[in-house]
Amino acid sequence: MSRSELERTRRDFLCKSWNGIGALALGGLLADAATASSDRVNPLAVQPPQLPRRAKHCIFMFMAGGVSHMDTFDYKPVLQQLHGKELPRVPKIRGELEGRLRFAHSCVASQWEFARHGESGRYVSSLLPHLSQHVDDLAFIHGIKTDNQNHGPSTLHVTTGDQFPGSPSVGSWISYGLGSPNQNMPGYVVIQDPRGAPINGTATWGNGYLPASYQGTVLRSGKTPILNLKQPPGVTTGQQRKELDVLKKLNAKHNDARGGSTELDARINAYELAFRMQTEAPAIVDISNEPDHVKRLYGLDNDVTAGFGQQCLLARRLVERGVRYSLLVHGVQIGRHSWDDHSDISGRLPRHCAEVDQPISGLLTDLKQRGLLDETLVVWASEMGRTPFKNGSLGKNFGREHNSWALTMWMAGGDVKGGTTAGATDEFGLRNVGRQIHVRDAHATILDLMGLDQDELTYLHGGRFRRLTDIGGRVLRDLHM
Amino acid sequence: MNLSTKPMRTNPQIHVSRGFSRAWLLLLVSASFLAAEPTAPKAEKAWSFRKPTAHELVAVKNESWVRNPIDRFVLEKLEANELQPAPEASRRTLVRRLYFNLLGLPPTPEDVEKFVANDDPNAYSGLVDQLLDDPRYGERWARHWLDLARYADTAGYEGDPDVPHTWRYRDYVIDAFNTDKPYDVFVTEQIAGDEVFDIMGAGGLPTATPERMVAMTFLRLAPFTEPRGDETRHEMLSEMTATVSSVFLGLTVGCAKCHDHKYDPIPTKDFYRMKAFFATVQIAPPAQGDIFQIGSPMAVDFYRPDEKERTTTGRQAAEEELAQRENEFDSLAKALQKKLTEARKADEPIPLSDVRRAVGRKAKELTAEEIERYQDLRRLKTLLRARIRRLQPMAHTLRHSVGPPYEPGVPTSHVMVRGEYDHKGEIVEPGFLSAITGNQQPAKIRLDPFKRWPTRGRRLALAQWIANGENPLTARVMVNRIWQHHFGRGIVATPSDFGNLGAPPTHPQLLDWLALQFVTKGWSIKEMHRLILNSATYRQRSSWKSEKGLQVDDANELLWRFPRQRLEGEVIRDSVLAVSGRLNPEQFGVPVFPPLPEEVDREIKWNMSKWDTANGPESRRRSIYVYQQRSLNMPFLDVFDAKVLDMPCDQRAVSVTALQSLEMYNGPFVNTEANYFSERVKKEAGAEPRKQIERAYALALSRRPTEDEIDMLREFMSSVDSPDTGLVGMCRILMNTNEFIYVD
Repeated sequence: MSRSELERTRRDFLCKSWNGIGALALGGLLADAATASSDRVNPLAVQPPQLPRRAKHCIFMFMAGGVSHMDTFDYKPVLQQLHGKELPRVPKIRGELEGRLRFAHSCVASQWEFARHGESGRYVSSLLPHLSQHVDDLAFIHGIKTDNQNHGPSTLHVTTGDQFPGSPSVGSWISYGLGSPNQNMPGYVVIQDPRGAPINGTATWGNGYLPASYQGTVLRSGKTPILNLKQPPGVTTGQQRKELDVLKKLNAKHNDARGGSTELDARINAYELAFRMQTEAPAIVDISNEPDHVKRLYGLDNDVTAGFGQQCLLARRLVERGVRYSLLVHGVQIGRHSWDDHSDISGRLPRHCAEVDQPISGLLTDLKQRGLLDETLVVWASEMGRTPFKNGSLGKNFGREHNSWALTMWMAGGDVKGGTTAGATDEFGLRNVGRQIHVRDAHATILDLMGLDQDELTYLHGGRFRRLTDIGGRVLRDLHM
Repeated sequence: MNLSTKPMRTNPQIHVSRGFSRAWLLLLVSASFLAAEPTAPKAEKAWSFRKPTAHELVAVKNESWVRNPIDRFVLEKLEANELQPAPEASRRTLVRRLYFNLLGLPPTPEDVEKFVANDDPNAYSGLVDQLLDDPRYGERWARHWLDLARYADTAGYEGDPDVPHTWRYRDYVIDAFNTDKPYDVFVTEQIAGDEVFDIMGAGGLPTATPERMVAMTFLRLAPFTEPRGDETRHEMLSEMTATVSSVFLGLTVGCAKCHDHKYDPIPTKDFYRMKAFFATVQIAPPAQGDIFQIGSPMAVDFYRPDEKERTTTGRQAAEEELAQRENEFDSLAKALQKKLTEARKADEPIPLSDVRRAVGRKAKELTAEEIERYQDLRRLKTLLRARIRRLQPMAHTLRHSVGPPYEPGVPTSHVMVRGEYDHKGEIVEPGFLSAITGNQQPAKIRLDPFKRWPTRGRRLALAQWIANGENPLTARVMVNRIWQHHFGRGIVATPSDFGNLGAPPTHPQLLDWLALQFVTKGWSIKEMHRLILNSATYRQRSSWKSEKGLQVDDANELLWRFPRQRLEGEVIRDSVLAVSGRLNPEQFGVPVFPPLPEEVDREIKWNMSKWDTANGPESRRRSIYVYQQRSLNMPFLDVFDAKVLDMPCDQRAVSVTALQSLEMYNGPFVNTEANYFSERVKKEAGAEPRKQIERAYALALSRRPTEDEIDMLREFMSSVDSPDTGLVGMCRILMNTNEFIYVD
């Protein structure tokens, strides 16, 4: 019985008679179906997808701070005529922006040229010369709405589907749904900006109410990419092996005396896995053997691009080794390395863009050349867009305000149909036109592209079958092949 | 009902008692559908909405097994399923089980031997009494409550600002458990501590006792982001409503915020009637300069024994140190200013803000030492100011509005359509859940005789309805939580959901019996412990193999043996310290900051961190005192599922991962302590390996090693470089065994 049917029957039944026997009976079925379909002793055992999709891995790139969509991918020529003038029609918008709209709000045009690229003829600004070469592989979503204008809640909304803390991140849901092909590595890996942490810190990749095995593991650069990979001080590999062998025997004796429990067994295996991880994880982050042309492809030879370039290169290596989900964060929560360009957008935005443009382009090229793009869903997102009107004076230092009605996201790889677009913002880029696209629609689409059905992937918590898309999102079929 | 081919992912949390066969269940469901089809009968109250009933104590076959009435209820179900209870566990197992269960620490070898050698037939119940009187009991059981209270020391969200006074609530909870504060009082203080006393005169509004003000911190522990007027207030009061309902009533009332509850008879209107009890809540406005605007604490005197003296001394010491550091910092800043001014050949001294920027940029004119010293001092100043703030006589609490003429009167409460803060619907009065009362009448709010404080008494009305023997849920929910922390699983397996989607009770009559006992015995939590711990059910063996048991009830819901349990992250950390002999037993007070792994420490060092690392004995206090920073959990606690919480957690996850193995085997914490453990063993047992192994087993595992184990470990110890290396290795191995973290 599928989840939706179950839901329906359960609801029907309970509405008709509140006697609780139904809940009891169905509860039993649920438990059975779950144990029958999945091996939950190893929480990261590989699970078959629910839908036939090509993508096996996902790389989620998150630009922290709120990327100005109308200076990158969402071309708004009308702003050229409105530069320095007020918006001709002030739309009715509820919430915080409503307050901001009451003040003088001079529009500012994008300071960068836009040109058409690829067969799809998509406009991309001159800030992204490398990425614009790939537009035919990218599918865009414009005008995505999140429910909050502040960085903390809106970042959570995009990374976990809920603006309040405590919910599992997208990667946790995908790890829960699909397990991990590489049992020597965590299934969900986070590669942070080497300059610092994003807003909300670990909640960005938290497991929320799902078991801890589904949380993102931060991969650090250097010799200890995962905490505690180094052997204890003064212990050689030989001695460690001896100790682990004794430990294994003691644990086996203990378990035998207790009739053989799967949980105790799992812990015995976990030590062997950890032992293998000690060599596997450093090997993944050791990029010294990558040929020079590959390093150049990702921009590792250039100080500006080396940081995110290394994150992107690591992501490809993780895909090759079967890691299910990688989260790459670019930007630090507050300050000059955040995409939060309230001021000096003309100085700051080109810098942010230059840092990611070649690395992302390199990643897409590399994945494609190795035939991995077909099995890898690449997602690029931020927590919000920005306003067509300015912050600050019209001099050199102006920037743009937060705009949670107009986030742009793009996806590539897997079953994504390149060159397509869903959603649109109005002529000013202020908010969406046509049918509202909410961030849960994007999440529903990501799950679908990973072979997971938003209605089937649930977890009972706090009295509800919770899901990533909460009240349910709309899968954006236009972006599918 | 066709079976879908799609694999389903959902958690197998719901269990049913295995008395029914699968086919019978299917039949039952289909039959019920048919029966229910023609009309929608008027909803009959679900079991949990009806008051607990006293059941006859049933006769059982195996009378001799029964130690108290709990055993009758359990044995009746076992016998009905043709199952036998497991034999009683050995004394050695029981003493270890009791220590971990009640104190969260292993017994010392002396504790163990004393109990094992004690022939008194009342030795066991004597030990239970002794442990319930042990002040470490409160530290263990308060942690269970803090999980429900979504306790943290920071506000979460952007910048994750420090909330300096929540630790007083943690101490309040420890005290409440240690003094066996009656649960009805405990509930009332946390919901309405400021409204408890009667006002008989016409003078000013008297203030509540400091303890009760601290108790209400419970209502303010949700994560908080910078306020956005009506929206934030709506979300904050909604969170209070949902949390109070789930924690005290075991109902997911929060589901009804946006629409009528899908599974329980809780209409949206009831959510807002419930929320209206909180409508007169008043929070002190943020202080000037509080950039995160999380709202101020209130002045509340220190009231615990010695607390005033301790905090005053601590504050003075921190203030003196701050003055000294400020001086050092100022002179360093001036020296760097001079150096930079000269290097840049500026005519006038460059501003001090430029010095800060130069340090931030690591300007080449400055040496690495200068930069580091400057940053260290700057950080230290921030941390010292935070230390001083924590020691102020303040509490992170709230009060009721005082009403006109000082503050607005009672606001009108509305249903908020679809849960949206700006979408007002029908007007509602505060009222109790209609699923329980059977009506949607307004609750009676008792005002003072002069009706001078019309904004007072709302939360008290709610608290008194909850903390009441007549309420069908309160006592059941709490005894179930107590049961859960003894057996690892509640009689109702979904401890905060007694609704239709929750698991049905495995032993409904037992649950009712316990709930009635709880009320009769004056809501005493310790009495409930005594009942449960002295039962034969609790004293069963866990390592008991029963083919029949596995066949009929493999999840052990009927309790045919004691369920083996993995220790929580906090208990594992505390046990490692206890075994190495380095646990600092000091109780209460401001949070502590144990060292973080080097990699994490480096990352957060100058990154607005609040982590005020202590390297001395402070760092080895029990884990309940560790700073709960929502954006940074100690990796050791984190891998073992001990999260810093954003919302109530009614049941810890138990995961088994390779990262745990890395933490336990390679990690700096366990290895440091394994070294101290080995030194302790050497000191207490001498140089002979056999003696060392025996002592290490006694300390870490509360038992003697078998000959087999001794041989295995001796062989290992002699195969490595030196006796010391071998001894440390042996100690490390013991701390890594399953036996160390799984309690039989």
